[in-house]
Amino acid sequence: MNFKHKYFFLFPGLFVLIGILIFPIIFVVRLSLSGWNSYNPGLDYIGLENYIRLFTDDPRFWESFFRLSFLSVTTVILQYVIGFALAHMVWKDIKFKRFFRVLFLVPMMTTPVIMTVIWRTFFHESLGPVNDLLSVFGVAPKWLTDPVIAKFTVIIVEVWQWTPFMFLLLLAGLLSLPKEPFLAAAIDGASPVRKFIYVTFPLMAPISIGAIIIRLIEASKIMDTVYVLTSGGPGTSTETSSFYIFIKGLREFQMGYAASMSFTYLIIMIISLTIIAKVLTKVLLKE
Amino acid sequence: MDLVANNLSYKPDDQYHLNEVSFNFKEGNLYTILGRTLSGKTTLLKTIAGLLTPDSGEIEFDGKNFLKIPVWERNVAMVYQQFINYPHLNVFENIAFPLKQRKIDKSIIKEKVMDALKSVGLLGYENRKIQELSGGQQQRVSLARSLVKNAKILLLDEPLVNLDYKLREQLREEFKNLFSKGLADETILIYSTTDPRETMELNGEVIVLDEGKVLQVGPAKEIFENPNSLKVAEISNDPPMNIIEAKISDNQIRFEGIDVEAPQHLSKLTEDGLKIGLRSSDIELNENGHEFEVELAEISGSETLLHLKRGDTKIIVSIEEVLNFKIHDKVKINFKIDRAYAFHADGKLASSPFGGLNG
Repeated sequence: MNFKHKYFFLFPGLFVLIGILIFPIIFVVRLSLSGWNSYNPGLDYIGLENYIRLFTDDPRFWESFFRLSFLSVTTVILQYVIGFALAHMVWKDIKFKRFFRVLFLVPMMTTPVIMTVIWRTFFHESLGPVNDLLSVFGVAPKWLTDPVIAKFTVIIVEVWQWTPFMFLLLLAGLLSLPKEPFLAAAIDGASPVRKFIYVTFPLMAPISIGAIIIRLIEASKIMDTVYVLTSGGPGTSTETSSFYIFIKGLREFQMGYAASMSFTYLIIMIISLTIIAKVLTKVLLKE
Repeated sequence: MDLVANNLSYKPDDQYHLNEVSFNFKEGNLYTILGRTLSGKTTLLKTIAGLLTPDSGEIEFDGKNFLKIPVWERNVAMVYQQFINYPHLNVFENIAFPLKQRKIDKSIIKEKVMDALKSVGLLGYENRKIQELSGGQQQRVSLARSLVKNAKILLLDEPLVNLDYKLREQLREEFKNLFSKGLADETILIYSTTDPRETMELNGEVIVLDEGKVLQVGPAKEIFENPNSLKVAEISNDPPMNIIEAKISDNQIRFEGIDVEAPQHLSKLTEDGLKIGLRSSDIELNENGHEFEVELAEISGSETLLHLKRGDTKIIVSIEEVLNFKIHDKVKINFKIDRAYAFHADGKLASSPFGGLNG
């Protein structure tokens, strides 16, 4: 169809797209080639200097990146396992099924920042109820100030907050599965465990891949939990990429440098998520 | 090893799905469960398989309480009316599934699966995906899957009902061959169907089921020749047996102003409320016959089914050729009355041309 005014009608949509997606990305690239900071705010041109600094002289960024990889992969795996177990539990006909289905979703309905504040109080080393209980056994882990334990505290809070989302996706998936293969499997001599391994799990593979990828994208942005819980501390031991970029860009106002980190981070994420999606498809769907 | 059931009942809502069902199935035999839809056939098979637990009653197999054994340990195989397979596996993996549940050597699995594929005529399809197969082929896969495990009890729940006419004929032939090859001398084969013709062709022991109750048990020929009640006569004939309310007096069967001389086996029945049963194939078109009005004429395959009416009496006549009739046409028919059945007012068989309860 050749319609004279078609561009006129396409324009509003294109304008929004350019305004909220394409322009910001191009601007970040341009910004990353400038030395914009609080002493020298302005779009000057300094070539690849920021990138050279990032790749040769900033181990903190790469540490935060690998820490982020560890945290997001660990939390997503845990969320998947726990979410699947819970979904599987309320998928079958059990008593109070509806009650449990709603109950398991409660964490997702809470405000993350507020819940994190509550968790911080929970894990407070001297005043928190967790250590109060543990003191019965004579232990008092430093939930927030030990470099290793603090990472696990972040993981606990993240898993608590986001498992319901995984649960919801997987339960929807389970409920959409055809019933017949399960009848067949029982007759064919598959015990409940084998039925899960050979029927439920493979049938859930496409949904699992989708859920894992969605959660990985979300988890790679871990920021609010860290910000409220530990502020990246002790030291930099719970600092993630987005938190570090936030510090450089919005606290120290090294806008040019933060832009180069953001863009590098974006490229790495696109590549690694594509690879992960491919690998998951290959492993789970055998295609 | 016998499969014995005692008074199985299952009543999930206010209707009986199984009502005091008892049977004694012996190994090496074929049993056909004949009943209309919702008569409890599937419920019965599911109960035997272990997918349903009856409210009361017992099932014993090989002297052991079958109800205490979980489904996956019962060593039964089942083919459903819907073609049930594993959508995520290919044809080979589907058929190998029951074998993989036991620890069997891979080479033996391969051999057995290939054998099964051969016996259902699907060699060369082993790497296909299930969704790429036609309905008939999918049903063959699920048949192969049930054959491969050499189950002691093989349940076939209306396996042909969802297939088109031609495939049904073809697969029915194959079933007959498979069964007659003596699938295994120890297997109990239980086949459920709504189709009386299938029942006759398979020629096993027939259990007629209606509203969860067993109405009659016997060899196919016996059920066909001497149905013990009106219900059985209806269920075991397709189209259902014609039932005519008639009176017999002075050696004449009288209904709707027609007098037909009563055959010997009916002549002594003079009670009130008598019902005469006559198969649609035992009525023929005849120039000198009695006049009826055509209500509907359907052509099915190479047959014509005429729905006729005279007064309050409605009958169905099947004619072995394709004929065109219009509604309200008048036709003349004759009754092969020596093949007529008689039933008492309560529905019980009074007399059959094959000698059941004469007189």
